[in-house]
Amino acid sequence: MTRAVVFSEDLNGFKNAASLAYSIANEVYGVGYNDVKYTDKLYLIDRTEEDSIADFISSINANLYVFGNSKKDKIIAAQVAGKRKIGYIPDIISVEVSEGKKVIAERVAYSGLAISKLECELPCVVTVSKSFGEVKERNTQIERVNLKESKIKVIESKKATSSADLANAQIIVSVGRGLGSKDNVALAEELAKILGGAVGGSRPVVTELGWLPEDRQIGLSGIKVRPKLYIALGISGQPQHLVGIKDSKIIVAVNTDKNAPIVDNADYVIIGDAVEFLKTMIERLKAK
Amino acid sequence: MNVVAGFKVVLDDTLIKVVNGQLDFNVPLKVSNYDKNAVEEAVELKEKYGGTAIGVTVGIDDRKSIKDMLAMGLDEVRVVKGNYFDALSTAEAIIEATKDVKTDLYIFAEQTTDGNTSSVPAMLASLLDLPLLSYVKSLRIDGRKVIAERSLGLNSETLEAELPAVISVTGEINKPRVPTVRQVLEASKKPIKYIEFSSQPKVKIVELNPYVVNRKRVIIEGNMKEAVDKLITYLKEDGVL
Repeated sequence: MTRAVVFSEDLNGFKNAASLAYSIANEVYGVGYNDVKYTDKLYLIDRTEEDSIADFISSINANLYVFGNSKKDKIIAAQVAGKRKIGYIPDIISVEVSEGKKVIAERVAYSGLAISKLECELPCVVTVSKSFGEVKERNTQIERVNLKESKIKVIESKKATSSADLANAQIIVSVGRGLGSKDNVALAEELAKILGGAVGGSRPVVTELGWLPEDRQIGLSGIKVRPKLYIALGISGQPQHLVGIKDSKIIVAVNTDKNAPIVDNADYVIIGDAVEFLKTMIERLKAK
Repeated sequence: MNVVAGFKVVLDDTLIKVVNGQLDFNVPLKVSNYDKNAVEEAVELKEKYGGTAIGVTVGIDDRKSIKDMLAMGLDEVRVVKGNYFDALSTAEAIIEATKDVKTDLYIFAEQTTDGNTSSVPAMLASLLDLPLLSYVKSLRIDGRKVIAERSLGLNSETLEAELPAVISVTGEINKPRVPTVRQVLEASKKPIKYIEFSSQPKVKIVELNPYVVNRKRVIIEGNMKEAVDKLITYLKEDGVL
């Protein structure tokens, strides 16, 4: 196969997409805001709006379009597929090219219950949901481009308030409705601090109850995490939450309901009150 | 103001189980979770600004789900039946099904619970060359402009675009209403139109396999102090503490 185009708004996503692209294509073009040297050619762009970027990327002739996996990356990717009227497979976890003309890729579907294997004739657009290895630095030819104006006007842009890096956290103390009240979140924060971890939460806790800021939401419509230890406190374990924690090494669940779905999806389960657990756990760890 | 709301009938993901190493898809149907938020938003906009709120659904044809959405306040529903549509052919089917409507706003959920691709709104916007506002958690209309607040995780933005436009909404945007008995009864009189559309999907499903991570499922008994001590021992043995 000949050419692939790579885009991601973040550097790790870009490198990962480039790594996958080189495993398939002979020639890889990058598109980005920053001057990085991981592709044969790099189009340095001057705008950040999704439609402007998608317009430009779809004007590049290629067999494969590879994107990172942020929400923004995926919006652009789907727009490229729409503009070119070609197939789109987001969140791939494996990929192969068959007879040089078809992509066969796997992705997680049905809120994390299934892995679907999909087939798409080239050209095709994919986004990458797992690490596809390292990429080496290259002698990149850089070309600056001015993108077309966007149909969207950005009136205001605010950075999120909290700085918890859940996606890369090794230990996560996660809270659900069963924690009882917002005040009890302080106990979860205390435990996370002792363990050197971060606090996250289920969707209801973030969106309905407002106990935690939006960038702490774990699950399908939030962040997917992969810690070595995930402690789920008062979280019942709906599929939309479970899909976000599936890659955790060890899952601990504390819940009063022994029939909650989280119980079947955890390594260790304590049937009991999450607040009592937090107090006891903090006391025990402090004593050591 | 004419609003088109997309909704998808899906298998209830909370009931899909793995039986003998196979996915058991013999489960009830439902309207995909956040699609109700899209329908609610369309109905609220219609109530506020007048015009029509039309629902469109592609794929599984389920009378009950369609009636539920009509009961929420849609004026009519357009159905494109078919066994399998990929995201691109879904977007094409929606365009075909609503080509006679002078649409000001297309509203969808940020994603459905089956495919989770979040791509139909983006594809529709591209095919129609319309502005796309995605992951919207609140919106207002100002003349021929739509102003929307969205959150992409690390930052939140206020965006503005000219109508017509395509919007995808998150679950926070509203609380889907529970229809009254009268609304349910009225729903059965509202029109449901079937539109023929077929297209060759670009993406085909080759296999669907269960995604199972085997967990230890150790239930730790005893009072809380004993349970916590046991847990700490286990976690140390596993090398995660």
